[in-house]
Amino acid sequence: MKKIRITICVAVVLVTIISCNKFVNYNPHEDYVTTADDYFKSSSDYQALVVGAYAPLGWIWANTVIGDVASDNAASGGESASVDWEFDQIDNFLTTPNNSKVKEAWVACYEGINRVNYLDENKGKLSFAGKDSLYGQAYFLRAFYYFELVKMFGDVPLFVDHRLTLSDNKALSRTPKANVYKQMEIDLKNAVANLPVTQTDKGRATKYSAEALLGKVYLYENKYDSALAILEKVINSGAFSLVTNFGSIFLQAGENGPESVFEIQYSNAVPFYDWTQAGRGEGNLAVQSCGVRNITGTSSYAPGWSLNLPTKELSTAYSAGDSRKASTILDIEAFKIANPSYGITYKVAPYKNTGLYNQKYQPRQGESSGQIELNYLNNFRTIRYADVLLMAAEANNRASTPNDTKAQAYLNMVRARAYGDASHATTATGTTLKQAIWDERRLELAMEGDRFFDLVRTGQAATKLTGFKVGKNELFPIPQQEIDNSGLAQNPGY
Amino acid sequence: MKLKIKLLFIGVFLGSLVLQVFAQTNFVVTGSVKNKTTGEALVGASVVNDKTHKSTLTNEIGKFTISAEKGATLTITYIGMSPFKYKVNSANELTIAMEEDIKKNEEVIVVGYGTQKVTKVSGAISTIKSADIEKLKPVRAEDALQGRASGVTVVSNGSPGIKPTVLIRGIPSYTGNDPLVVIDGVAQTLDDLNSISSADIESINVLKDAAATAIYGVHGGNGVILITTKTGRKNKKPEINVSSNYGIQEATRQMPLLNATEYGAIVNEGSLADGGAAPFTDLSKLGIGTNWQNQVFHHSALQSHSITARGASETINYFVSGAFTGQDGIIGGGDKSYFKRYNATANFSADVTSKLKVTANTSFVNIKGAGIPENGFNSVLGNAINFDPTVSIYNTIPNSYGKYSYSNNILSENVNPLTQLDNTYNKSNTNKLYGKIELQYEVAKNLNFTSRYGYTNVDITGKSFSPLAFYGPANQLSTLNADGSTIAGSHNTVSQYKTTYYNYSFENYATYNFKVHRDHNFETLLGITMAKNTSNSISGSKKDVQFNSWDFAEIFAATGSAINSSITTGKSEKRNLSYYGRINYDYSGKYLASFSLRRDGSSVFGPEKKFGNFYATSLGWVISSEKFYNPNIVEYLKLRGSYGITGSDVVSPQYQQISSIPYTYGLGQNTVYTFGSNTTTTGATILSYANNALSWETQKQLNAGFDARLFKNKVSLSVDYFDKRVSGLLFTPAISLYLGAAQPSIANVGDTKVSGLDISIGYTDMISKDFKFSTNATFTTSKNMVTYTGGNQIISGGWYGVQSQSVTRFQKGFAPAYFYGYKTKGLFQTVDEIAKSPTQANAKPGDIKYADLNRDGIINDSDKTTVGNPYPKFTIGWSISLEYKGFDFTTYLYASVGNDIYRAYERNSQFSNKYRGILSRWTGQGTTNDAKSPRVTFTDENNNARVSDRYVEDGSFLKVKDLQVGYTFPNKLFRDAFNKIRIYMQVKNAITLTKYTGYDPEISNGGILETGIDRGAYPQARIYSMGIDLKF
Repeated sequence: MKKIRITICVAVVLVTIISCNKFVNYNPHEDYVTTADDYFKSSSDYQALVVGAYAPLGWIWANTVIGDVASDNAASGGESASVDWEFDQIDNFLTTPNNSKVKEAWVACYEGINRVNYLDENKGKLSFAGKDSLYGQAYFLRAFYYFELVKMFGDVPLFVDHRLTLSDNKALSRTPKANVYKQMEIDLKNAVANLPVTQTDKGRATKYSAEALLGKVYLYENKYDSALAILEKVINSGAFSLVTNFGSIFLQAGENGPESVFEIQYSNAVPFYDWTQAGRGEGNLAVQSCGVRNITGTSSYAPGWSLNLPTKELSTAYSAGDSRKASTILDIEAFKIANPSYGITYKVAPYKNTGLYNQKYQPRQGESSGQIELNYLNNFRTIRYADVLLMAAEANNRASTPNDTKAQAYLNMVRARAYGDASHATTATGTTLKQAIWDERRLELAMEGDRFFDLVRTGQAATKLTGFKVGKNELFPIPQQEIDNSGLAQNPGY
Repeated sequence: MKLKIKLLFIGVFLGSLVLQVFAQTNFVVTGSVKNKTTGEALVGASVVNDKTHKSTLTNEIGKFTISAEKGATLTITYIGMSPFKYKVNSANELTIAMEEDIKKNEEVIVVGYGTQKVTKVSGAISTIKSADIEKLKPVRAEDALQGRASGVTVVSNGSPGIKPTVLIRGIPSYTGNDPLVVIDGVAQTLDDLNSISSADIESINVLKDAAATAIYGVHGGNGVILITTKTGRKNKKPEINVSSNYGIQEATRQMPLLNATEYGAIVNEGSLADGGAAPFTDLSKLGIGTNWQNQVFHHSALQSHSITARGASETINYFVSGAFTGQDGIIGGGDKSYFKRYNATANFSADVTSKLKVTANTSFVNIKGAGIPENGFNSVLGNAINFDPTVSIYNTIPNSYGKYSYSNNILSENVNPLTQLDNTYNKSNTNKLYGKIELQYEVAKNLNFTSRYGYTNVDITGKSFSPLAFYGPANQLSTLNADGSTIAGSHNTVSQYKTTYYNYSFENYATYNFKVHRDHNFETLLGITMAKNTSNSISGSKKDVQFNSWDFAEIFAATGSAINSSITTGKSEKRNLSYYGRINYDYSGKYLASFSLRRDGSSVFGPEKKFGNFYATSLGWVISSEKFYNPNIVEYLKLRGSYGITGSDVVSPQYQQISSIPYTYGLGQNTVYTFGSNTTTTGATILSYANNALSWETQKQLNAGFDARLFKNKVSLSVDYFDKRVSGLLFTPAISLYLGAAQPSIANVGDTKVSGLDISIGYTDMISKDFKFSTNATFTTSKNMVTYTGGNQIISGGWYGVQSQSVTRFQKGFAPAYFYGYKTKGLFQTVDEIAKSPTQANAKPGDIKYADLNRDGIINDSDKTTVGNPYPKFTIGWSISLEYKGFDFTTYLYASVGNDIYRAYERNSQFSNKYRGILSRWTGQGTTNDAKSPRVTFTDENNNARVSDRYVEDGSFLKVKDLQVGYTFPNKLFRDAFNKIRIYMQVKNAITLTKYTGYDPEISNGGILETGIDRGAYPQARIYSMGIDLKF
């Protein structure tokens, strides 16, 4: 009897042991998780990954702000030096390697690059119609991200064949800038060759956006002849024209307009609420940043954080009759006085107040949704036709065989639009013309994030910017975390 | 009723006399049973006639009557007493004096998968008994552990029902330090302690060293809290307890802040310093203004009521209870902040046959809760601290919208705390059913087989509503205009969720106890457990609740469009499979040895590391049992030592996931992009990395200690030293940033080292027949050190404020969660001093001077260092209790020494209200050199608000946690109705002595890196209560 009981107990235990060996196995499908094994089975998988590669474009909103704050165009502003210390540091040329805005530029661009590389890694898994064109977009994006990185950091780790994994942790070092430029050229040429001239979806890279970006890359490489050739392809295509009313470009209705060569698309369609990752949604945080504090009343303006304030000096740089001034700079007090019916009240910018605000990207009522601060829909007009014209003008002026007539013509197209007449045309030549083009770039592209990088590119930074240290401030510091984690060499002076 | 019993008794007595006459060999034996030492009558002692197997119990005065024939033996038994046998010779009235059974009183305590005699334990275990818990009446069971169990650190804030930080023997890990909680043999979690009624608890045992915890293997690494609930006791009378307690809670103190006039002056000074105009032109108009703290703190109720009944028949015993605990919050009052718990428990056990016993424990709990925004500068308390003191409480503008006032100076983040409270709506409801069904079968003599199915089913539903609200016409948080109309594009939102957990464990184990020769005793255990924890959740939200009203806040009733609603679900499952065994050996109770082994597999571990082995061994030597031992002062002395390996498995599977979700919150990995004005296009990206080698954290622990009893057993002493080495620490490693934004997988990187000392000492004495005195003290200390983090990786935490600065770090070479920041060196007095000091950009006289620790001539990040530690160097718990006749007095003190606090509740904006300390600020050369008081500046170009020791305060404290006076009425008074009546008055958190300037130095925000950061943490209340305990 006793033996039987024991046998039964032992049997129960044995059956349990045998039956549950599989009990602790795990398959991600249990949790409805998609893994790489489930992917690359149809062209839509590839298309989705390309869309994913566009997404980080929106994260680098601060790069545009930096382009003006670091220059003579804008003061950092904000609440105080300690609350808005990142932009304050950048404004004062005292950027430290722990600056989170600089770090985000690094991380976001590399995320974009990794997303493109993941496509490259899996390129051979499936053939489908339109694949080359789709990859053209991906290569455009990779070049775009690398260009941002090189402009900000100089030499950066370069990798193209696969999405990095944990085994690549700490494995890379900085690649000379020239090699990174070489890769950008390869990617952009590939994009130019495969991309269509128009896309049904506004905001997808086209052949022209790739050509324009390649032209800009050439300019930064001082390859004026190559720049000239590629930029004139864009001009001669006749696909773009200058919009008569300069200010209308920056209204919602002006998005992806006839002058738009490439725009970073923002949207309020899927509201985003994550304050811990505030810039990683689909809204443009730069818009909220540059708004007037606590503005009330019935004007179209919505309140913001008074960052990125245009300087008085920028304001006075515009000549009388230049329509761009009013469309670039908002003098809030003047606006309030001119429009008493709006009943405007606002709080004076508490830090580095200039009384002026970034009119091109002012937040406006009803253009956000959900968590209002995080979801402004305003696109960045990243490459405008006017920029292409000015780049082409400069390339003509600085080509191995300069053609100042053409350069003047391109420049004067931009000026004619600005003044609404042809009487402000330039007749200068040579270096005077070159300087005129550079100055025009400032006026045309002010508050669009171009100025600081342009000053560094053209060697004007040291003379135009107070506090700029030659040999240091051309570049931003590599994020401290990257120095600590990956052992990369820091940029000089940091 | 008692009278009836008495009459009956007399009747029986008379009847038995009659019987005696007729049946000479059958006596009716009467007697009284008492405690030999105390003379106390023993109520409910069992008297069994060995021949007839008839039995009876002693009555309320210790008397019994039983019939017996001559020569029969009566066996009298009573818990804690040596059985008494009496051979019946005549019908004499007996007086039986029972002796306390020393051996039995060296109780058995509950250990993993069984019980063990205390004398035979060679591991480190702390015990809290029901008497202490009944007296304390904690809202949560872990309150009873604070300072009463050595080796256990409990840090808790005052939010009703909040889960505290509980650490057993230091901080071994970053990922999870919660101990395992086992209720009646069924593994649960620390979260489950909020659901147990303290009236149900028989004992709490805390398993601390590896010898005690290794039987729980991969779950045992952070220590184990074993809770045993009450059961019916055989051979005792049924017992009904009713307990009722009602108290009023109040805030213990207020934060010293500026009044309106002082505030106006400071704001003016700040504005003028940076070249602005003075915002307050006439300070004399401001007066004292409004103290918002007075407005948000309430006197609120805390009550608990319970009724329990237990008893047994020959084959069935039972314990049933019902309880209610209700705590209203002191912030915002009971409308907005509360915790209400309803408990019902039924524990039954039946001897189906003499070999088979069935136990079913079932508990049902309902918890209702509501909370307010906490723990931030924009929480309710944060607003009470930071909001404008110059405005009135109520809106005084005639015919304007809004009940309360607003500020025209503070226009973002901070709002009138009363408006905020008014607009706070949420509630949650938890239904929880847990328990076990257990079969115990005696297969053969001393061979027992146990099969147990333990289960926990939890359903939590919750709802919150953010109405459209008006905080002032220019306030960025306003969603209503000044006239009460909706601001374009604003919506109200209702969010609802439902989460269901179902956890089960199915355990089968056998125990076999045997002796070899006479003195070699073996207790063995062998078992297997399958366990599964699942959770499913669904949550959603929708905008446009009708009438902007909580009464209509329900998703189905809201009218928002599809774009303004969201829904999501979540799911997780974890499966564990474990094999375990243990051998306990002792040689005549003198030499002790134990070995336990467990093999754990888990679905969360990577495919390359599915199973891990854990073991422990321990030795003990009861020196006082040796012949050579001379028990002069020390009557009892046992040495113990153990070493073993346990683990921690707070992980989830790590896989390479491709995500198409638009936004993965917290990770910042969006995948969508909107081309032109088209609808958003779904994209995809790699979200995370795989880690196939993911495994458990391994803890190796060494323990050495002794137990002693001195001075005629009046003093007891337990001392344990431990040393814990943790390897394979689970955390998310910091990776190269060029890998992008994908979430690095959790990995086994890092080591920590913890060592410390647990001491508990007790003294109990009967000073006279009426006067009993006892005192107990515990001492807990541990030294924690991070020894490796896989290179130089650093985890940052304790983020606070608008700047989102991090205070705490988990870093190699430092204590876990130490405060990391700048060291201050006073204030700059002159421009000249700034010029001569290491470069500190933008500094002006009156700004803080920071220490250039690396001496590179520039103040930057590399000058940051350790500026504090939020965990105490040691804690002491000390209880004293006196009993004189019917009176009893208890006090309980708790001290925490060396815990630092980081002051992070200030918004630090130009117009936010400030801590009063600012009145001694720097106002010119030589005025002060205290780095805590820099000049007032609007723009703060020196960033005086950076993380530095300026904000670190010593949070050491001594609290009189409990002060209690009770009176137990003499039995005679109520003999007809009750066995015992005790009434008492109690003050909890009566006195706090601390240098900390904030509300309460006990600050726990959940998570190791969050402790000690005071973002306006919910303070513990002082509670005045009275209550009554009745025993029938």
